[in-house]
Amino acid sequence: MKSIKRRSFLKGTAAVTTLPAVGLTVKAEDKPSATVIVVHGKDIAKMVDAGIAMLGGWGAFVKPGMKVAIKPNVAWNSKPEQGGNTNPELVRAFVLAAQSQGAARIDLPENTCHDEKSTFPTSGVEAALKGTKARLYRPGKKDYQAVEIPKGQIVKRAHVPKDILACDCLINMPVAKHHGGATLSLSMKNWLGSVSNADRRSWHRDGLHQCIADINTFIKPKLVVIDATRILLTKGPQGPGDLAHPDEIIFSTDTVAADAYAATLFKKEPFDVPHIKIAHDMGIGCGDLKKIRVERIEV
Amino acid sequence: MFNRRNLIRLIITAVFALLSLGFVPEGWKHLRVVLPALSPLLSLGGVVATLTVSAVTLLGLPLLLMPLFKGRFFCWHLCPMGFLAESVGRLNRWNKGGANKVPFVGKALALLVIGSAAAGYPVLIWTDPLSVFNGFFAVWREPLTWLSAATASGFVLILLISLLVPNIWCHRLCPLGGLQEMLMRLTKCRKTRQADEPETALEKTRVARRVLLGMAVGGLSGIVYGGFKKRRAAARPSPTAKTPKGGGRRRRRRGTREVSVPYIRPPGAALSIFNALCARCGNCMAACPYGLILPDLGSSGIDGLFTPILMFRSRNGEQEGFCFQECTACTKVCPTGAISSLTREEKQQMAIGVAHVCKGKCLAWNKAEYCMVCQEFCPYHAIDEVERDGVMCPEVDSSKCRGCGACESQCPALPIAILVSGREPQLRLAAPSPYLTQK
Repeated sequence: MKSIKRRSFLKGTAAVTTLPAVGLTVKAEDKPSATVIVVHGKDIAKMVDAGIAMLGGWGAFVKPGMKVAIKPNVAWNSKPEQGGNTNPELVRAFVLAAQSQGAARIDLPENTCHDEKSTFPTSGVEAALKGTKARLYRPGKKDYQAVEIPKGQIVKRAHVPKDILACDCLINMPVAKHHGGATLSLSMKNWLGSVSNADRRSWHRDGLHQCIADINTFIKPKLVVIDATRILLTKGPQGPGDLAHPDEIIFSTDTVAADAYAATLFKKEPFDVPHIKIAHDMGIGCGDLKKIRVERIEV
Repeated sequence: MFNRRNLIRLIITAVFALLSLGFVPEGWKHLRVVLPALSPLLSLGGVVATLTVSAVTLLGLPLLLMPLFKGRFFCWHLCPMGFLAESVGRLNRWNKGGANKVPFVGKALALLVIGSAAAGYPVLIWTDPLSVFNGFFAVWREPLTWLSAATASGFVLILLISLLVPNIWCHRLCPLGGLQEMLMRLTKCRKTRQADEPETALEKTRVARRVLLGMAVGGLSGIVYGGFKKRRAAARPSPTAKTPKGGGRRRRRRGTREVSVPYIRPPGAALSIFNALCARCGNCMAACPYGLILPDLGSSGIDGLFTPILMFRSRNGEQEGFCFQECTACTKVCPTGAISSLTREEKQQMAIGVAHVCKGKCLAWNKAEYCMVCQEFCPYHAIDEVERDGVMCPEVDSSKCRGCGACESQCPALPIAILVSGREPQLRLAAPSPYLTQK
């Protein structure tokens, strides 16, 4: 891990070591290193189309015959309007698009916090997926595979659903919300809803924010889509709490950049959220708002 | 042995066994209450002790009236426990007819139950054969452990006795049989197996005296046991300084201040007389979809043996779960009213316990870790966030905590830093559940 830090440091400063010179290089590097597309509107399907068009169309992500995996956040027995889970319309829009692109399989493994028998229906996601070939399920013991996390500082091994490991196109689709432990639950935190319960538990013991960053060195989604149509400002992640309605969907290929932008919706500096800062420093993505190009689309 | 009568009994036994095993369509799971509720002993005990009548307790009425007209027809033709006990007795080739030398203990048992129920504290209600039968078939579930299977022991015991001394259970020991025998004698109906001669006046007075004596002993034991329980409860520390708001359906007794107890009962439990009223039929344990309800091995006292308590984490850590806010399964299946039926709203307002944070073990308090898993999982927003050096730390608001165990079941600390203790009595909290706003 130390070598990466050094490498990124060297890259960033271009072998210049004196302090004023570092300042100069930052200026020279003012060109954005990550892009975040923010679509504002009410019609989810149209917002998704607009966002994906900006990223080069569906063809850039899903090709016929591909195995697609989507990780929504459907952890809680919470109704769609309460903001505890990803908007079911958003999930449906992606599943339908992937299906029409000819995806061979669409899997949505979700290690729910509440009993899935009530969570999946209450969240509205089960109903939204009716008639599609998508499979929303809670992974059991046999669905997990133990993997090494070579770049992890604390997390060296984790149990990740096989469908997430073996897919051709992975889409991270969290909902932005308040979180007591992680400050905010955004795209990077969403992987805690994927790994096994034992992993989750030990990560809370061993430094949650570093562990969140560690798993993101390993699981690399092709696309990050943050549901910010409504966001839980308090009593997260379960709710019900105070809601705000930014009516936005955030698209990015850089998970750290997407989180950094989403943090601003909560009136927070991205680096005040420890795992965004750590992930930025580890070079997982760019969390510096100054270096993120935000493109806004109104639908 | 293999005649039409026994074939019918076999079918009846199989049907009841399937019912107790839970082979009923989804949405009809509460049907499992039917078998133990059929016993007039349980319903009579429940009704007399709590002075409430419900649809479930009315199920006991047919068997209360049947002996007046048909004698012990139920025992000889319908009872599944009786059929199994008799069948096992047939395996015994070396000892026949020892049963008749024993006095009719069953009658005394039945009188004890009813007499003590009249005193408000039914004892020995768990000797009822239908709940013993049910208790055996209700325990089969995943994961099966010695603990979860403990309620099956009564059934095994009856079969063992029946093997050693054939027919002793039905003819001499069974309290339900004893009750029916006595009821039968109230009318002139004589369909017993013994050759009957007309009853003399002397015998009549003797019977009346025995009934009176049995009831009196029962009443006395009820008073003594009940008083003992109350004294012990009053000696326990209170988890919160508050006085409880609103009682259950039971009439109030002295000393109903809220106390903290090491065991957590299912929601809706009539705590002050729970050990007495619980028939140990295993229905609530089988009904819990999360497998949280297990037989107690003594934390609620020796008279609380095998009564249901909630455990949010199994000892080996394999299983975890909590009393989910949308679930009322266990409250729908109690034959005696030891656990009264709750609606979703009532259940969400019912505090069965209260959580405590042990700051010395807590990851946030002790090690400044970002954790708050307890707050994350708490369905009732009962965990307050206290900021300490930029790290959020949990504090329990006992006026909102319902003791559902969500925090305890998920706490990542080793050893667990947040534990739930039972509230006695269970009470309705003034703070509304946040879930009541949603449908």
